[in-house]
Parts: sequence; C-alpha cells; structure tokens
Amino acid sequence: MAANTHISATCSISKQSVSKNGKALFTGTEASMPGFLVEVYKHFKLNYTRFYKMDSLSKLGWLTSELLLKDNFDKEAYAPAEVGIVFANANSSLDSDVKYMASVADIPSPALFVYTLPNIMIGEISIRNQFKGEAAFFVSEKFDAAFIEQYVNNLFDNNIFKACICGWVDVLGNDYKATLFLVEKGNGAIPFTAGNMN
Amino acid sequence: MSSDVYIAGLGAITAIGNNVAECFAALQNERAGMGPITAMNTIHRDKIPVAEVKLSNEELAKMGGLSAELSRTALLSMVAVREAISDAAIADLDKLRVGFISANTVGGMDKSEDFFVEFLADNSKGKLKDVYDHECGSMTEVVAVALGISNQMTTISTACSSSANAIFYGARMIKNGLLDVVIAGGADALAKFTLNGFNTLMILDKAFCKPFDENREGLNLGEGAGYVVLVSDQVAKTLNKKPYCKLSGYNNSNDAYHQTASSPEGTGSYLAMQGALKKAGLQTSDISYINLHGTGTPNNDSAEGIAVKRLFEPDFPPMSSTKSYTGHTLGASGAVEAVFSILSIKHNMVFPNLRFETQMHELPFVPETELRTNLQINHVMSNSFGFGGNCTSLIFSKI
Repeated sequence: MAANTHISATCSISKQSVSKNGKALFTGTEASMPGFLVEVYKHFKLNYTRFYKMDSLSKLGWLTSELLLKDNFDKEAYAPAEVGIVFANANSSLDSDVKYMASVADIPSPALFVYTLPNIMIGEISIRNQFKGEAAFFVSEKFDAAFIEQYVNNLFDNNIFKACICGWVDVLGNDYKATLFLVEKGNGAIPFTAGNMN
Repeated sequence: MSSDVYIAGLGAITAIGNNVAECFAALQNERAGMGPITAMNTIHRDKIPVAEVKLSNEELAKMGGLSAELSRTALLSMVAVREAISDAAIADLDKLRVGFISANTVGGMDKSEDFFVEFLADNSKGKLKDVYDHECGSMTEVVAVALGISNQMTTISTACSSSANAIFYGARMIKNGLLDVVIAGGADALAKFTLNGFNTLMILDKAFCKPFDENREGLNLGEGAGYVVLVSDQVAKTLNKKPYCKLSGYNNSNDAYHQTASSPEGTGSYLAMQGALKKAGLQTSDISYINLHGTGTPNNDSAEGIAVKRLFEPDFPPMSSTKSYTGHTLGASGAVEAVFSILSIKHNMVFPNLRFETQMHELPFVPETELRTNLQINHVMSNSFGFGGNCTSLIFSKI
C-alpha cells in the first residue's frame, strides 16, 4: 500500500531569512546566529519564555516548527499520539557538545548538558505542542529526501501517525539551516515526495 | 491468546550481593552497598560514593563463562541471566520459543572510555576491539549468542525505566502468544560517562543517599543486573516448582515536561501507577507495598511522592526505596527492584528505606524504616521513572 500523503506547509530559516510556502516572510539584520534567532522570535511576536533556555539547535528547530504550524495546522483534528516528528541533520548536537566541553574546564553546566543530544529538539517541539507520536532523529551528511520520504510514508502506511513534521535542522558555529515540512494524509496540491522536498 | 504471565526465575547481582540470596540477606540485615570508588580511574575517586559490585571483571567473566575483555555491562548481565535461567529450571527449554529482552543505558561505554585515553593522545593508537561493543545492543547480543537464544532478542534503552520496560515488553510478547518464555531485565556497569553526566546535573549526593528524606541531596550511582524469567500459563503448568507470582499490571506514561526532570505534580508517575492498577484490575487499597523509584534526588522524590499522595490518599501502603541499598543502577534498576518486589511477595516482607530521618514537608507519609515481616503481601507496585519523562509502573501479584 502506497501512502497517500501531501505536504500541507513548508517553512525554512537560513541565511538571515525566513520563508514559508515559498514566500519570503522576513529578512533579519543580525549577523550572528544567536542574535538572528532572537530577532526572528521578536519579529513574529512569539511568546514562549522557555525559548530563551534552549540551545541554538532547539531554538532554530522550535522557531521553524512554530512558523510552519502557524495558520496551517488544525491541532484539534489530531490526538497527541497521532502527530509524529522525523528530523535529520549533519552535525547532531555538536554545536552544544563543544560549548558543554568548554564549560567542563570550570563548572560543567547542567543547562548546556541537557542539550547534548539532537533529539532534545524534538522533545522541545513536542512539549510545546503536546505531541506524543512517533519520533526519530537521523544523522546523515546531506539531506536524504528519498530516505525521509520512505521512512515517513512507511509510518503513515502502518497507521503509526496521522500527521508528521519532517525535515532538516542543522547548526554548527555560525552556520544554520532549517527546512521543515508538515505532512498530512490525503490528496493535496503538493504530493509528499522526495522531489517535492528537494 | 491472552495468557497470564508468571515469574518462574530470578537473577540479580548488585553492590549488596552477587546473587539473589545474597541480596535478600543484605536487604534483611540493612547492609547497604555504597562505598568509595575503587575501580574507575576518575578525578571523583575520593569525593563521590558509588555502589560497586564487589567482583572484578575477571571474576565476573569466570562466573558467566565470557571473555574478561568484554564490557562489564555484558559480564554483569551474563551472571544474573545464568542465575535466572538456572532458578527457573525449565525442562526442555530448547524446545520452547525463548526470547531475551535486555535493557541497559551505557552499553560498552566502560571499554570506549579506555579506548579514548590512548586514541585522543595519538589517533593511530587505541585498541579498536574496545569500541567494537560500544552499542547498547551489543550487550544483549553477546549474552544471547553465548546462550544460544535466537527466537527473539532485543534491547531497550529508556534511561532509568529501561529494564522495567523490558519486563513489560516481554510480558506483552507472551500475552500475545509470540513467545513461551522470556528472560527480561537489564544491566549497567559504572562508567565515567554516567558519573560525570549525573555530576553535571548536580544530583549526586556526596554522602550515602537518603531517599524520601526532607534533607536528601541526590542519588548514589550503582551498578548491577537483574533478570526475571517470564513464562506463559502453559509453561507455568510444566514447572517443577510453583512460580513466584504473576505480573498482573504494567503501564508506561510520559509527562512530556523536561529532559531530565519530572513535572512538579508528578503527572507521568501518576499516570503510570494509575494505568498499571487499571491493567491489573486493582484498587489502590489492594497494593500491599510500593517499591518506590526513590532515587534520593530532590526532584524525583518530590514528584513521585506527590503522585503517590494524589493517587493513594488517604490510606498509604508501606513504601520504601531499595536504592538506599544498591544505589541507582540505572538500566538495571527496574529489574533489580522487580526482583526485590517479588522477594517481598514470596517472603511477606517489606524492606526498609535506609537512612531516613526527616519527613518531607509536602508529603503526608513516611517510608518504612525497619524490616517488616509476617505481613500479607498480595500485590506489589514497583516504580521506575526515567529521564525524558519515561515512567513505568509494574504490579506483581501473589498466585
């Protein structure tokens, strides 16, 4: 059985700009990544104080997911266990790992330590939205759209979830790139395929 | 299809004993297993107490019939698995569908840590065989291959609830008619990885831990392994001795609150305990003893205590945390405490919560402080709550 799924929204944050469904929404002025992420948070008037505690990877993933779901997602249509998250990136949580290791020389920081796993980002998004569905995080050198298509559709086929946020969120030093897709069942203008993700 | 699940055999090795009988004696004699670090080469050596198994890798390897070059996690696992299988004494085990479901959280990290000392100094150095069994799954495979178990083998790693979930999963496989016998439990060896990690989180007590005490300051890390042999009712009928008890209830819930902390109101713990009672068809008044997760951290004991208060008020069964003996054995703790819970049913005893002094201000109850015997123990609830909000409660019931 082939999954009948479509991409109902797309959101990207990279190179100081935010775009959604192919349209540019915002271009920032902050050159540093941490500064830019706060700039995005303020520009879209988001209100979630937990944001400030997150590491850069979680901030980036969280912001992208917030903007992805905004106006495009009917949360009430799904039970918490019916929404899944499947992410990938190239650098795992290395950005936070390096910062944590630097703190070890003095007093190891608990606040940095709790972010030394990439799937913590999935946890942050789940906590925000109370998603309790299947979640997975993959590390690969490049975004493997064919793999993500196959993996996510397989979970749809087996009724493991009824909606999924999938895509790429990667941070290292001042480099960052996030592209997330909201995938739901049924026919839509953009079928969920590797080609349409690329 | 929906078979009851019986406990036919037990195996355990912890800081308080190298087998179930030794652990049971220590539990009755209030003999805790913590002490200074003797095996790991760490800067925390004289500063942080741990609960070490009192055998070297060579001694464990000899007992289990494995190579002493393997990770201590696998060596501990093998010793307790062999004890559990031998205790169950199932005739014609090789003719049944046998599964091995084993949990751990550190895998072969102890060997990887050795490897990296040399490798970081010179990246052409370091023995690659020391990282070969790094993965958690390798620990299970080493034991399953040595025992020739091939029907089903899997590894569960869900932090501190890992081996409770292994028992839970094994029971479901039997209930669904997929296996006849499951050896389920878990193991974890002490490692710098976990010691430094918990130290970073500032939840290690520099003295012996005091679970459920107002002035508790954290946990003591421990190591060990615990396994139970689960059997279907058909296999139970063929046993030469009466099974210990039934596994009647189990539940896993998550409060999706924080990476390393429980929600203040203990939502995950509450849901896990409530779900296990429902699965077993029991009321709170049916529970004769709760073997608490009781790590001794301010956060866990407060959240777990408040969840117990919400669910059980106004009548509380006897409770204790046996981590006051064994330290927190992480991936092994759920199964080690399942073994202790089963001993409670078998011997109609409640083990004390060592070093308790002062009642927690937010709780209307205190844990048991002395060994209680000649009780009627019908149903024991065993709690195991892990990082990531992964909360599991098991209920064992007298037959």
